[in-house]
Amino acid sequence: MNSSRFNKFILLLVSISIISLVILGLRIGDIPTGFSDVYHAIFNYSENNLSELIIREIRLPRLCIAVISGAALSIAGMLMQTLFQNPLAGPYVLGINSGSSLTVALGLLSGMQFFNSELGLIGSALLGAFIFGLFILFTASFIRNQIGLLLFGVMLGSFVAAIITILEASSQAQSLKAFALWSMGSLNGVSIEQLPLISFVFIVGCIGTLLIVKPLNVLVLGEDECRLMGYNLKSLRLAIIFITALFTGLITAFCGPIAFVGLAVPNLTRMLFKTQNHLLLLLANMLFGAFFILSCDLIIQVLSDIILIPINALTSLVGAPFVIYILIRKLR
Amino acid sequence: MISFRKGSIGFDKSLFSVEEIEFARGGVHVLMGRNGIGKSAFLNTISGMINPIKGSPDFDGKALYKYTNKELSTKIAYVSSSPSGVPFLSVDAYLMLGRNQFTNLFGRGNASDNKAVIEAKQIFEIEHLSSKFTNELSSGELHLCAIAKAYVQQTDYILLDEPTSHLDYANKIKVYQLLEKLAETHNKGIIISTHDLDLAFKFPFNFYLIDSKHQQLKPIKDFKEVELEFKS
Repeated sequence: MNSSRFNKFILLLVSISIISLVILGLRIGDIPTGFSDVYHAIFNYSENNLSELIIREIRLPRLCIAVISGAALSIAGMLMQTLFQNPLAGPYVLGINSGSSLTVALGLLSGMQFFNSELGLIGSALLGAFIFGLFILFTASFIRNQIGLLLFGVMLGSFVAAIITILEASSQAQSLKAFALWSMGSLNGVSIEQLPLISFVFIVGCIGTLLIVKPLNVLVLGEDECRLMGYNLKSLRLAIIFITALFTGLITAFCGPIAFVGLAVPNLTRMLFKTQNHLLLLLANMLFGAFFILSCDLIIQVLSDIILIPINALTSLVGAPFVIYILIRKLR
Repeated sequence: MISFRKGSIGFDKSLFSVEEIEFARGGVHVLMGRNGIGKSAFLNTISGMINPIKGSPDFDGKALYKYTNKELSTKIAYVSSSPSGVPFLSVDAYLMLGRNQFTNLFGRGNASDNKAVIEAKQIFEIEHLSSKFTNELSSGELHLCAIAKAYVQQTDYILLDEPTSHLDYANKIKVYQLLEKLAETHNKGIIISTHDLDLAFKFPFNFYLIDSKHQQLKPIKDFKEVELEFKS
């Protein structure tokens, strides 16, 4: 049919754009590099060449995490929007990030060495995301109003921010520095050695989502219909929250908070593809999420001579007006 | 056969009791009763969405609570009194969700699933709605689609909560005729609740009344009972 050809065309277009953005991203920066440097850095790496070193140690991890974070947060947003049947849901606005921030802060500011390690960081971020996910799930069972749930998430975020401020004020300089570095949030904090672990967790989340595509399609009809179609709602909800926490915790652990991607991109893909088929939405969110963060990264790199923009600030600049747009459409 | 003996129905407290009742396959069974008497509660109980206060419905010789959700979904289809439309969910995709137990891991249907959907669209005369989104339909159109979705599920029993309330007169007749035909030719057990008594009485259905005076569900032997119930 026409619509499926349109979908394929759009997906192909975004895929090509992603590849182009990655190649472009590998080349531009403070030190311009050529195609041959890029080729050598990947396939024939020598540490002595400065261009190759920069490409391999700085740009490649940054672009990889841009792709993964965009994809992961967008899928997490899609899952939450379907779970709560609420286009205003997302991992950031509902405070799943805050959960990670809180546990990471508790861990880092406690001064214990373990929490400053890779495993300690990701472990505490995942745990926090999961606990807050369950908390939101519990709250959503009695706050039925869509905008009400959003407000609750925002309040949760403010509350956690206050606790973190108090923790910061009363902690030692050494651990404070570790936390401050983490909380600034950026795509630059990831090293190439960490990529396998990040990719592994990301792929686990993607496979998990792939396995629940069918119940997600039914969940769109409401919880009663979902039960009547033979699904165990409790385990489905838990699976969704678990996968969301996995994605959100992973990205929050390594990049800090990145706002609004998880809300804006799933809305955009649903509008563009006009479908509730979660297999297509999964693919679309992956690609559009990656494309979105890569574009933000490109803007940051291009403007870096004039002004330094943190990634979280840029996604908020684009994302917040988009949320307001959806709100106005809903409230009118 | 769905049977229910010495039970009572309600959400928190009992709304009415059931002495003994049987719904056979191959027939349409019509529940009547005043507003709020518990018709929906009864259908919800039979479909396993709420638990009875006392007793347990029995499906083909096995108690309802012994079925898993999955098994039950292959036995009963349920059509709510007000199905809700979903943005960006087309009628075709909506009907395909009815084929859930047959489709593959990702919800994709094969040739026989597509055939079932096309057939249902013909039977219910909703072909022209195929690519419309379910939230853009009128409530009557949506209700027809919901019934069509229950049809493609190919279950032994279909429960419909006030299936004709949103329909125009012509469609009311069409739905009753279709239900009659489905029960006869496909040997399905169909249970509906309705307020369209005058029309329903013209069909060879089995009628049951939830009596507000005795708070009891019973088969109707004499139509005077119905008249009495709705007069007072």
